[in-house]
Amino acid sequence: MRALIAAATGLVLAFALVLTITAMGSPMGKTSPKPLLTTVPAHP
Amino acid sequence: MRRKASLILLALAVFFTALSPLLRWYAFPRLAKIPANQYQDMVLEAKNATLLDYGTMQAKTVPKVTIVQTLKGNVEAAKKIDRTAGRDVVVWDGLSYVQGPDGKMVSSIPERYIFDAHTQDPVHATGEMVDGDPVKRDGIEFKWPFLTQKRDYEYFDAQTRTTNPIHYKGTQNFRGVKVYYFEQTIPWTKVPFPKTMPVKGITPESVAKTGTTRWYTTIRKFWVEPVTGAPVYGEEIHKEELRGGTLLGGRAKVTAFAGDVKMREDYIKHTVALVKSNRTLVLLMVSYLPWGFLSLGLLLLALSLYLEARSRRPGDPAPTEVQEPEPVTA
Repeated sequence: MRALIAAATGLVLAFALVLTITAMGSPMGKTSPKPLLTTVPAHP
Repeated sequence: MRRKASLILLALAVFFTALSPLLRWYAFPRLAKIPANQYQDMVLEAKNATLLDYGTMQAKTVPKVTIVQTLKGNVEAAKKIDRTAGRDVVVWDGLSYVQGPDGKMVSSIPERYIFDAHTQDPVHATGEMVDGDPVKRDGIEFKWPFLTQKRDYEYFDAQTRTTNPIHYKGTQNFRGVKVYYFEQTIPWTKVPFPKTMPVKGITPESVAKTGTTRWYTTIRKFWVEPVTGAPVYGEEIHKEELRGGTLLGGRAKVTAFAGDVKMREDYIKHTVALVKSNRTLVLLMVSYLPWGFLSLGLLLLALSLYLEARSRRPGDPAPTEVQEPEPVTA
């Protein structure tokens, strides 16, 4: 019974971690202030 | 004590074993995406190209034609479309600026490309356009999906405003990177004149009145790193002609541009380095971590079972049994 509880705890923690990380996502940030280029850049 | 340790190890074993498939098949498709605020530029060159001199209307060979391509993620537009589309989208505002050997503009074509941040499938929304003309892309453009497959894809051609297959032609090694080579041929097709013409006073409408039309063909080649779906190199054998009408002075056709367009060397090196670094990040999620977690989970499970078995070994001192008193018989 204790083994079953331990296994279930591990499983729940794994799901909780993955669901939390994916739910958080990543911020979209801001549009770059750099312009669309009409000159040839010297380097990347 | 051993039994407690084995139970903790069992919990950890299940945790890491479960994390392995969850990371690969649940988290990765949701976390891997193109950032909405990405900005990138690219310089391509066509050396010894043929270019039309609009002053004399004669084609001439020039040492170099340069194409500067910029892609800029429009975060505000992406947020608006996100809300209506109900998924993460990326809006790329792009500009293909073509410059002649004298530094003067040959053409300047803006476009807006809207796509799913995770799958790179095109998303249709107001504002999707090429050179001001509304378009509807049915395929990818610029970038392939993560974990690109060895198959043909639908690829959007901005000149013809059509989507056509781009064929997988084999696996190659490009500067130490395993890449899939894709090729697309666009046959001679009548295409619209750019809205911004190289000579002041000439507009697409004024050219249309002369009866002259613009035709285009290209062989498009991409070397795509399959894990990230990012092209590490690209080439185009590009030809444009003006045909018919009074503008050509009785000639049936004149070459407007012909050249083998290739990425500039410093941009190739930069792109290869960038793709190699991004490749490691993607591999971390689809391979290194899932396999690592699975191995760790199995190891912990074995350790847990071992500890459990040792705690039950017969050689160990047996717990003191309390003997029940035998019934006393008189």
